[in-house]
This record gives sequence, structure tokens and C-alpha cells, in this order.
Amino acid sequence: MSRNPIRDQVAIVGLGTTGFSRDAGGRSSKSLACEASIGAIRDAGLVAKDIDGVVGPLEPGGPHPHEMCAALGLPQVTHFSSPMPVALFSLVNAMNAVFSGACDTVLLYYAYQRLPWNSRSAAADPFRRHFQIGVVPVPESTFAAAAYAAWASRYIHEYGARREDFGRIALNMRANARRNPLAVMRTPLTMEGYLRARMIREPLCMLDMDVPVDGADAFVLTTTERARGLTKNPVVIHAATHGLVDTNDEDQLPSLKRHGQHVVVEALRAKSDIWLSDVDVFLPYDGFSIITLGWIENFGWCQPGGAGRFLEEHWDDAAGCVMIDGRVPVNPHGGSLSEGATRGSGHLREAVTQLRGDAGERQVAGARTALIGCGGFFFNSQGAILRRL
Amino acid sequence: MSEPIDDAALVERFPYVRIDHDTKHLYRGWLDQRLLINRCDGCARFHHPPKPVCPSCWSTSLTPTEVSGRGVIHLTILLHQGPPAPDVDYEKSPHPVVTVDLEEQAGLRFTSTVIDCPLEKVRIGLPVELRWIERFGAPFPVFRPRYTS
Repeated sequence: MSRNPIRDQVAIVGLGTTGFSRDAGGRSSKSLACEASIGAIRDAGLVAKDIDGVVGPLEPGGPHPHEMCAALGLPQVTHFSSPMPVALFSLVNAMNAVFSGACDTVLLYYAYQRLPWNSRSAAADPFRRHFQIGVVPVPESTFAAAAYAAWASRYIHEYGARREDFGRIALNMRANARRNPLAVMRTPLTMEGYLRARMIREPLCMLDMDVPVDGADAFVLTTTERARGLTKNPVVIHAATHGLVDTNDEDQLPSLKRHGQHVVVEALRAKSDIWLSDVDVFLPYDGFSIITLGWIENFGWCQPGGAGRFLEEHWDDAAGCVMIDGRVPVNPHGGSLSEGATRGSGHLREAVTQLRGDAGERQVAGARTALIGCGGFFFNSQGAILRRL
Repeated sequence: MSEPIDDAALVERFPYVRIDHDTKHLYRGWLDQRLLINRCDGCARFHHPPKPVCPSCWSTSLTPTEVSGRGVIHLTILLHQGPPAPDVDYEKSPHPVVTVDLEEQAGLRFTSTVIDCPLEKVRIGLPVELRWIERFGAPFPVFRPRYTS
């Protein structure tokens, strides 16, 4: 067991969300963040003066913590911070701030807006023209998104994976999103539909990539001790970690068997009393389908290269989605592929929602433990285990 | 080899790249059609992209060293859409992007495109060699299939 003094010491006591759409209309990302934040603070039974920490990722065009503090009239804040995007950087920052005493109660917000370079309608919005552009200088680049297509080619080469193996990831998310009223993509998807989808960065097609959305999620974190006085069902962070290897430049990654996800899994395993057989809900990131195949294998649900067969063996034909051992759903909210591109805040929200027992028709009966694998292979791999006290 | 140009002129030759003091040697090499990869004077390890220290031994004594440009394709992408370039027409054909394992050191890779190669031959494991094309008025390193005699 690795040192983990923070185990179960910080709780999530508030949840707020706007839900996700292709176009939230004439609203700023700050407006979406405020709506979700007010929802989360009220959900926790708190008011503005109770919040003394504000954490939210740096998103293009998104509000900074000091702007959120100003917009929400938080009178006195002692910790505010803006980590890199992808959800658990901010979660871990907020968790550490509470545990260390930097602050007592954190507002953690995530606001997303379709960006001019990934959405035609967003490009037509004059108010979004000034957003810092994520320019890739030449086609010959494995920068960011392209790297997942490149490593997907390697995955296919090494393991003889089929397009259907990737397709099952997309189908699972879509079937699950149909049971989530917050989700943006809720029309049925078949394997034929997946195979017909437009290639973007071959071997990955349109349906292997998450959907840009407008929307926001927010959470309130405090000490577990304080949480017991606020709610009868606090959800605690049992373990959380990031993971990075040295050669993390996208095209220099050592191999599919050694990257950030492996560091996450080793660290999480060492910090946690809970592992796969105790997990009730599995929430692997799916910004690209290849990332999800990686999480399934790297957590040890199956052998490297075995995710396609694993999905097939654990497929629930009636529900049209994966149910591991007939029991554990994978991204029951529909993930980034079908709920919307939340860079993992959707996975975090679903974990809390399920552990509270509030997931409605997609509720996992008696769910007590959720495993999140967030981010990809290079420089944003993260993981967390959440549980109900 | 041509006379080395100053930093301002270098930036003007590659307006599409963000060049800095760690990467300037790489792009100066391009102007001479030489692929220069950082090599440590202490431990002789190569690394890429260029870093200010050797990640293996922390030496700051690094020499941008010409490599052969021979290697084997390790990763592939066929871009059906993507960033614009004057010699790329996505409407006509998907544009291949390949990451090549260079023969100088296992796991030392360089990413570019591959020319003179039918798309069905753009496969992991294909031996390739370096060629230079012109991109935005400056040399640009690419690969093409290598046929052993």
C-alpha cells in the first residue's frame, strides 16, 4: 500500500450541471459556468459566503476563477487556481486544497463552449473570433488529437484490431446516452451506421471523436467531516492520481504498453483498498475511442489487445451496451462521445450521481464504488476512485 | 552549406512554426536540407523534439547532429481533412502522415509525410528514406519508400 493520507478525507457534496447541447444559444461560457455553479452550491445546501476556494480548468474563452468569484459574489476566497484542461487536474487540485487547509469548501467548475476551430456554427459567432486558436502549423503533426489516430494505427497493427472493436465503444456510449436527458447525441446508432461514418483521421472516423458542446458542470468539495453535517449521502474521493512518463511527446511515446495510463493504474492500485472486483461503475475517458480501449486493457479488465473481444464477450444485446460481468456499466451517462465533450467532468458527475443513487433509469442498483480513468496517453492521464461512505 | 542566417531571418523563413532557442538548430538545418537531431556530447544519446538538456544525463552540451533519415514507419494517419498546406489537397486524396523510427536509435522518431507512395502501401513497417520538398518557399523534410537493392 502506497502512502495515501487523503484517502476518504475529502467529499463531494454538491452537483450542478446545465446539460449539453450543440448550441446553448446566445450565452457565454461564464453564464453556463455560473448556472452550474449556483446549482452545485445550492445542492450542497450552502451559500456564497461558504465558498472559500475556486478551481476550474483553463479552457479557451472560459472564465478564470477570479471572474467566477466576481460573478458569483464570493466575498472571501483563500484558494483559487486554474489547472490544465481535463477534469481530474482540477479535481485533485481542489481535493488537495481542502485537505491541506488552504480552504474549507471549494467550488469546482468546468465550462465548455464549441470553439471556432471545431465547430462551423461557433466559427460564425462573432463573439468567439477572439478565442486563442489551437493552430496546428502543418498537416504533418501528431499534435494533440492527431496523435490518437496515429497510435490507433499502431494498436491495429500490433493486435489486429478491427473497426468493429472501435465501433463497440461508440455504440455503447450512444445506447447509454439514450438514458441520459443531459446528453446531446441520443439518436440510435448501429454498427452499420458507425462503419459508414466519415473518416476524419484514418483509422479514426467522426464517431471515434467526442462531440463539441456548450455546457457546464460544477461540484462542491469539502472535508468529509463537514460533509456529514451537510448531506446524508456524501461521496468521498478514495484515491486520485495523475500519470506521466518521460518520453511523453506524442510521437515519441515508448509504446502502447508504457504511457501515462500505466502510471495512473499503478499509482491508483497502490493507493486504493478497492479494485476491479469491487467496482460498480466504470468511467473510462472516451474523447477518442482508442483511449477507452486503452483504459479497459490498462486497468486490467483484460489483456493488452483484448479489449475488442472483451467488449464482445460482455455485450448486453438487449440493452445494446457493455455490462461487465452482467453488472458493471461503462460510462452509463454516454461519455464524451455521446453525452458531449466534457473532458471528463461528465464522467466525474456520473460517478457522483450513481453513488448518490440519483441516476434514474440508468441507476446501478446499490452502487457504492466508481472507477474513473480520465484523459489519454500523453500528458493528461488521470484516475480516481470514488465511493459512498 | 549556406551561411547561417540570423534568428530574425530564420523566423521569416518559417512563419508557420513557433521557433525558439531550443529548436532553432533544427530549422537552420532544414535550410541546408540536413535533418539535425540533438545528440548529447556526454552520453551520445539522441533525443527529439529538441530539449535544452539531455533527458538521459542532464548534460547541456548537445550537438545538433545530422541523421541519415532512414527508418521504418512506426505510426500512420491518413488525414481526410486537416490543416491547409499548398501542396495538400484533401478533396483529391487523403494525406498521409507518418512517424518514422530513425535507424540511429530505437524509439527516436520523426514525423512527416511520405511521398511517391500509393496510399495502400503507407503501412507500419515500411522502410523509408529522407527527401526534401518545398513548403511555403523553404525546404521541408519528407519520407519516401526505400527500396533495398
